[in-house]
Amino acid sequence: MSDSETVVETKALTKRYDNFTALDSLTMRVGKGEILGFIGPNGAGKTTTIRILVGLSKPTSGSAHIAGADCLHESRKIKRLVGYMPDDFGSYNNMRVCEYLDFFGAAYGIARRQRVKRISEVLDITGATYMHDLFVDALSRGMQQRVAIARTLMHDPQVLILDEPANGLDPQARIDMRVMLLRLAEMGKTLIVTSHILPELARICNVVAMITKGKLRAFGTLEDIMRDVQQRRTFEVMLISEEQVDRVGETVRCWLREQNGEPKVDAPEVTCAKAETMVRFSTHLNDREVAPLLTHLVNQGETIVQFREVATDLEDAFLSVANAGDQTDVATSAGTGMQMSGADA
Amino acid sequence: MINPVIQREFYGILRSQRAMAVLLCLTVVFSIAVLMRWPSDASVDLSGKQSLEVFRVFGYGLLAGVVFLVPAFPATSVVNEKNGGTLALLLNSPLSAFSIYFGKVSGVLLFSLLVLLSSLPASAACFAMGGIDLKSELGLLYLILSLLVIQYTTLGMLVSSYAQSADAGVRITYTAVLAMFFLTLVPAAFFPGTGGLMSTATGWLRNVSPVPAVMEIMGHSGVGSAGLKIASTTREFIVVTLLSSLVFAGITLSRFNYRIFDRSRAKGVITNDRGTLAQAARRVMYVVDPQRRKPGIPWYMNPVMVKEFRCRRFGRSQWLLRLISVCTVASMVVTFAAATSATSWGVETVGGLMVVLQVVLVVVLTPSLASGLISGERDGSGWELLRLTPLSSLKIVRGKILSVAWTLGLVLMATLPGYLIMILIQPAMWLQVNFVLICLVWTAIEALAVSAAVGSLFRTTAVSTTATYIAVIMLFLTPILVWLGRDAPFGHDTVQTALLATPVGAALNVIGAPGFESYDLLPQAWWVAGVVSVVMFTVLGIQVWRLTRAV
Repeated sequence: MSDSETVVETKALTKRYDNFTALDSLTMRVGKGEILGFIGPNGAGKTTTIRILVGLSKPTSGSAHIAGADCLHESRKIKRLVGYMPDDFGSYNNMRVCEYLDFFGAAYGIARRQRVKRISEVLDITGATYMHDLFVDALSRGMQQRVAIARTLMHDPQVLILDEPANGLDPQARIDMRVMLLRLAEMGKTLIVTSHILPELARICNVVAMITKGKLRAFGTLEDIMRDVQQRRTFEVMLISEEQVDRVGETVRCWLREQNGEPKVDAPEVTCAKAETMVRFSTHLNDREVAPLLTHLVNQGETIVQFREVATDLEDAFLSVANAGDQTDVATSAGTGMQMSGADA
Repeated sequence: MINPVIQREFYGILRSQRAMAVLLCLTVVFSIAVLMRWPSDASVDLSGKQSLEVFRVFGYGLLAGVVFLVPAFPATSVVNEKNGGTLALLLNSPLSAFSIYFGKVSGVLLFSLLVLLSSLPASAACFAMGGIDLKSELGLLYLILSLLVIQYTTLGMLVSSYAQSADAGVRITYTAVLAMFFLTLVPAAFFPGTGGLMSTATGWLRNVSPVPAVMEIMGHSGVGSAGLKIASTTREFIVVTLLSSLVFAGITLSRFNYRIFDRSRAKGVITNDRGTLAQAARRVMYVVDPQRRKPGIPWYMNPVMVKEFRCRRFGRSQWLLRLISVCTVASMVVTFAAATSATSWGVETVGGLMVVLQVVLVVVLTPSLASGLISGERDGSGWELLRLTPLSSLKIVRGKILSVAWTLGLVLMATLPGYLIMILIQPAMWLQVNFVLICLVWTAIEALAVSAAVGSLFRTTAVSTTATYIAVIMLFLTPILVWLGRDAPFGHDTVQTALLATPVGAALNVIGAPGFESYDLLPQAWWVAGVVSVVMFTVLGIQVWRLTRAV
């Protein structure tokens, strides 16, 4: 992670609703100009975190600060520092885009003359200048998303929090949105972006926070997280003919078994894909340890077209982190249960 | 096999808390009304007068129940289905358009039947008292109400098929229902029994309203007959209701295809981009052109108030100007007619009519404007956005209240020319007119406070609009219903107490409207309106505080 000036910081942020813990000791920091990808399944606690950050919700414990302002006690300051775009557009009927932006500009106390200028600027930044006189309720989803971002930019906030900005957008609009977000980061804005479309996030985020069941499972740069989650790496061996597949598969399986690190009880994960003339296997071995396998296969007289590692993407990383986190939770609760049973006994 | 749409509609309505509350309230209210008038002495009333008194309370109550409650369900029936996307699914299914329409209408009618059934114990009690004829009175009342239910259901469905939101459906349906219920009586009052085409037309128009038919059953002379005995209106009412229902149903049914979705939304041609001639023409047409590019909101104006004006189709200035012009012209025509002896009415009757017209306007307009002040924002996620701005909750509410208050103020001021002419005719009425205007201002404030408070209690706009209309209409109509039963079954004191609930009775009393002279309502009516308004604004304040705090 970069050492840039911290703009958003949460410390042991916890939110409980009766017996349900929506957010459990969330600690993270985001630097100036960074784009944080906030990833998690539905109900993971993303929106709860965001609502606390923008001052719409109160944490049960812990603290959250944006540019030094306390999200809990300095809500007026926070409102000027943050631009929040919820998942829902929040349109008003019979209002034109310019009137819509004018209203929010006036609500933020921007002087009338400056407001007119600012409306032009934000529409230009978001590529929505041509929408100036259109009715907001007649806009398409992609157009509405642009106007929504323009609205969040009206008061020139330091931090932008965007909830699912790419939701419901067509491919072109998604690309445009990506370009727009990168442009905002270049302008020095700090962005927190949630999305279910993880490949999209992977292309723009410097920092990623993965959250499931209210707990932060992974936090750091994309590279850091990948490195952490890649305990088992997947390799593919492309072959020249179909009859090689079973033979090479068996050779790989035996070779992996012979390696010290491979648990003897578990069968190595080797998949033979005849249709693709390919053998795929997963292992925890590093590059140096895997390299002799290629030599071994060549020495066996096999013709190898390609020997490559399959890149793990953000989706894989997320699934890996989420599953590991969930298993830890199950183990912890089982352990607690056993301890309790023991105590009862 | 039973039409699946009927099943879904009927069960859907029955499952809603709204429906349960309606049925429960009606049963309780009817039972209490009958119990209150149930004879407690041992004497036998051979004339049937006592039972007729009970029957009148029950009959008018039931009529009010149908008018308030029935339109709410069909008004949202089609538009909800259309906006939710399920109407497209239904039209895409093997079900015919007629089956879908029939199913939806039947669902609402079945529920309305339950509403009428909930009154059966009370009506049975009325009948048991004796003196009420089963066929010509009780049976006829139920027949008229059943037809009214059909008419309102088909009307609500028609409006709903055109409306773009559930809220708009409710607003327009209630406005249409009130117009059919009340405004159709007004023209007949101008041309009573004079003969000729105009008189015949207004006579038929009068029969659109159920009031004359119900009053006839109750043994009262018909409203709008101006004291003249008019031949039985029940048959005309039945014919008019059946015909209008058929027309409403036909038009709605003709829209149950691609046409119901076929609506292009004008993306907004701005007047500033048009030619000079077009700009000039629009300037003359509109005075305040809604399509002109607006200047920014000035610093001295509450942005929420301006936003409310801008995002309401009806709240836009050109509509307000039209409404005010209509009010001004109407009030001047009425007063001028009285001054030139075109009618036999005195200034008091004209004044009374103007007060009633203005109150109807306030009662129709206020819930429409104020019910969605908070729920409209919550419904469309605007509330979260407002909370994110540095605007204080007080400023938000003030802006919203002001947007309605200005509109109502302008509507009230629009009739000032009529009152001025009245003062010119009888200069001695200066003080009375002042008192009437104060009463009307209090009426508007009370209606605004009740609408805003009741509307804020609900999350969805359609529900809040329905609840607000019911609350406001009940508040303003109940005293008038009690007044209609003056002398029998209600005594002078009961009527006086009921009339204190709103300043409308006081306004009519001050202006000297016939039937209101004998009550002493000022200044108590102002105090009551003040207290009710303060309580309601407090409720609104608490609700807004609850919604704006971070939890």
